[in-house]
Amino acid sequence: MGLDRRAFIGLVAGGAVGTLFTPIPWKITDDLSIWTQNWHWIPRVPRGEVTYATTATKLCPSGAGLKVALAGGKPVTAYGNPEHPLSQGGVSPIGASEVYMLYSPSRVRTPMRKAGGKFEPITWEQAQADLTAKCKAAGNKVACISGDAGGTSGEVFSAFLSKIGSSAMYAMPGEAGPAAAGFKLMGGQGVVGFDIDNADCVLILGGDIFEGSGVSVRNRKAFCASRSQGGAVKARFAYAGPVRNHTGAVCDAWIPVASCQLGALALGVAWHLLKAGAAANAADMADFKKLVEAGYSPDKVFKLTGVPAEALAKVAASLAGAKAPLVIPGSEMGQGMGPGAFIAGMSLNLLLGRMNKPGGVMALPEMPAVFPGAETPSEILARDLAGFLKNVGEGKTPAPEVLLVHAANPAYGLPESAAMAKALEKIPFKVGFASFMDETAAMCDLILPGSLTLERYDDVVTPYGSAFCSYTLVKPLLAPIYDTKTPADFILDTAKKMNLALGHDSLEKALKEKAAVLAKAEGFMAGQVMPWEVLAGKDKPAFDAAGMWKALEAGQAWVKTGQVAQTGLSFAAKVLAALKPAKPELCLAGRAPQRVGTPATGIPAQCTTAIPASDFKDGDVYVSMNAATAKQYGLSEGSRVTLAGAGATCSARTHLSENVMTGVVAVPLGFGHTAFDAFSKGKGDNFLSIMSASPEAGTDMTVWTGSEVKIA
Amino acid sequence: MSAAHIEFKTKWGLVVDIDKCTGCGACMVACQTENNVSPMEDASNKLRTLTWMLVYELKNGKPFPEAEVAYLPRPCMQCGNPSCVPVCPVVATDKNEDGGIVSQIYPRCIGCRYCMAACPYHARYFGWFDPVWPEGMEKAITPFASTRPRGVVEKCSFCHHRWNQAKDAARVAGKDPDNLPDGAYVPACVEICPTGAMAFGDLNNPKHKVYELSKSPYAFRLLERLGTDPQVYYMTKRDWVRRQGDNYLPNEKA
Repeated sequence: MGLDRRAFIGLVAGGAVGTLFTPIPWKITDDLSIWTQNWHWIPRVPRGEVTYATTATKLCPSGAGLKVALAGGKPVTAYGNPEHPLSQGGVSPIGASEVYMLYSPSRVRTPMRKAGGKFEPITWEQAQADLTAKCKAAGNKVACISGDAGGTSGEVFSAFLSKIGSSAMYAMPGEAGPAAAGFKLMGGQGVVGFDIDNADCVLILGGDIFEGSGVSVRNRKAFCASRSQGGAVKARFAYAGPVRNHTGAVCDAWIPVASCQLGALALGVAWHLLKAGAAANAADMADFKKLVEAGYSPDKVFKLTGVPAEALAKVAASLAGAKAPLVIPGSEMGQGMGPGAFIAGMSLNLLLGRMNKPGGVMALPEMPAVFPGAETPSEILARDLAGFLKNVGEGKTPAPEVLLVHAANPAYGLPESAAMAKALEKIPFKVGFASFMDETAAMCDLILPGSLTLERYDDVVTPYGSAFCSYTLVKPLLAPIYDTKTPADFILDTAKKMNLALGHDSLEKALKEKAAVLAKAEGFMAGQVMPWEVLAGKDKPAFDAAGMWKALEAGQAWVKTGQVAQTGLSFAAKVLAALKPAKPELCLAGRAPQRVGTPATGIPAQCTTAIPASDFKDGDVYVSMNAATAKQYGLSEGSRVTLAGAGATCSARTHLSENVMTGVVAVPLGFGHTAFDAFSKGKGDNFLSIMSASPEAGTDMTVWTGSEVKIA
Repeated sequence: MSAAHIEFKTKWGLVVDIDKCTGCGACMVACQTENNVSPMEDASNKLRTLTWMLVYELKNGKPFPEAEVAYLPRPCMQCGNPSCVPVCPVVATDKNEDGGIVSQIYPRCIGCRYCMAACPYHARYFGWFDPVWPEGMEKAITPFASTRPRGVVEKCSFCHHRWNQAKDAARVAGKDPDNLPDGAYVPACVEICPTGAMAFGDLNNPKHKVYELSKSPYAFRLLERLGTDPQVYYMTKRDWVRRQGDNYLPNEKA
């Protein structure tokens, strides 16, 4: 053998040392780090120029303008539009998810018809033929539930119903409905909005205005502007409600009170204001004074709410001593408040003389309609959907023959959901203009999938709570990904084919007309000057009517400050005198953070991480109560608990939180989905199902805030 | 042994006003969509979720009705004296002249997680699973941050790509890319905050808001006494919040 062991080792060692002097080992290490990580199943980033385009969110009720980033012409992510008055760069978790929601696995991709209990795909022509036939047969027994009553799309549905002789157009519950109904009962004219920017002392009665209620992004920006970081505080905020929620967290004071007693609290504050001599120029001023003095004295209010007289006196003194006080009535979960409670809160604004004053309540004009026959949003919003459906379910009201559901999920998003589902089942033909396969769509006989925000034309009109009128254009940034249509366009086409032409060929044309009408309405494009500055006294900037549509397309909002003069505003003393605030032993408080989306969106894909372990952990949903309440019911951190209400039960685990008042169980809404996709489905229970919906004494409108609950 | 403490000309910093944060989580969502963190169907196991920005809930420990709550958004602190940099065996993370941002190079990372053990702020996250975008949702991937396979550590980068975009925009406009005006470069979380609770800028530049804010008597940093020199400042007028910024003894002043 020529090669002995020593020589062999020498060769190998020499070779090894030699390769170190070559690029081979370094090239191999470099290649290793690349080839062990460029797995083909990991998606790559897109190529292409990054550009930005504007639109506005239709999925988030805050109405924020969006600035969408596009890569190679395709939308990739959404931010707030810094130039838009309802955004100023900010946007909620829902608005931020608009691009991701385009691709939700639960998107409906084609029109579908229910056959034999299952859905079968059909063409749009077949779908239209089905709908036309059913509508013709139903005559005027057609109803509509809309989640978007305020915009021009809502007008289309309303005009369609009016044309076929039906007035059964309903809006999903929110804060706007009770406000519209309540303000009407007060003899108010216009739509209420709240000028937080120019207020210096704000009492928030329930509403989660810094989270999901009303123009929540605008509200937060106004709050931030009132107190520069580390600097002087220009406005003080107090939050009254059952839970120190996201809004309560940043307010200067928390007045713990159950949500069914917020009206009583307001009248308790009124008692102190009246004692100090406050009065309003209202026809029933004397009646109001009488009912407050008789029924809402400090110890009566203390007995009912547990709020001591000194606390109420302090609140009244702060409001009375402020230059621009403001009281904002609402519900902690954005729904379920009664008009009576709204009126009680508004009575404080009347006593303080805050109507149509900077920093006060602004009564805004309704926007002009471009579809003749459409009802105003206020008329639609003031209708009691929960009450109507409950009556249908109990056989007290005949069920409509056809139900159109637009941008709404009533099978999930209403209280006493079991009763509501029973009612919906009584309606023989249900049509869902659903974008996602949600709980309601799953019940429908015909699904006409709607294009999402970034895929269609639409508009955002003065969202509830705004102190100024606004009009924002929504424009498509990409062609519909699936075989979907803009619901309003489909209705316009269907109406035309039924010889019931509604007035415009397409939504886009209607929007252009709307802009042309608004151009004559003495507003301006928000940008250099913002509407709250004009409310504070700044000059209105010049307005170029001819350039309005172009400005709208560029993402700017048309705004109008200016209020409707009130000629017959009263306290609706008769209504207030009839109020009977409840005093349940244990009641519910709903928490509706935006991270769980809305009933119509489900939990957006990128929002699941924002849900803390104190709400949802290891597959269990947690309800919160403080240690005193827990002790009363033998519960501790992590205990399983079954909550019973409205003839239904929900199970959860217990989380102890001292930010919940005694006698209240705070329940997180947005869980318990049985539809949508894996991001939403199968997580806990829907706590709306145990909230009892009952008529409010004095108004007969259905309310469900602070409903009683039992621990089974 | 600590890393050498080098001062940089530009030092990007964040100032969060805790008294304004409502805990909505928009910053978390913005960060995830901007930086291509894949959506997680079940995000309830917080040891497995990737949350470069994470909102913490703080309580004052008092019973009802004296209870208070605050929210604290926590990105990567981009420490001036980072604990993670000296422990990385492959120099996948570094603190160099790039605006004082602690870098994280995914292809270099071998996933040993030593940096995670070192970070006192739990700001680093390990990709336990391959990222999964449901069919079609991968079209929402932005070009701003590379997608990471499983097995590497990732963390907040102060949206470093936005700094590059801002510098490019300055060059195109004929301005000085190394002297950006306040607001020309903000991370996604700061931009999207619906309340406007966060401010971002060059801590060394007197023309930037954060220069004054970071010197405010109400400003503090988390775990300052560890010597990490974080570039994220928090502001609060509430003493009980400030006390949670470090491990203070009961009678110690915050």
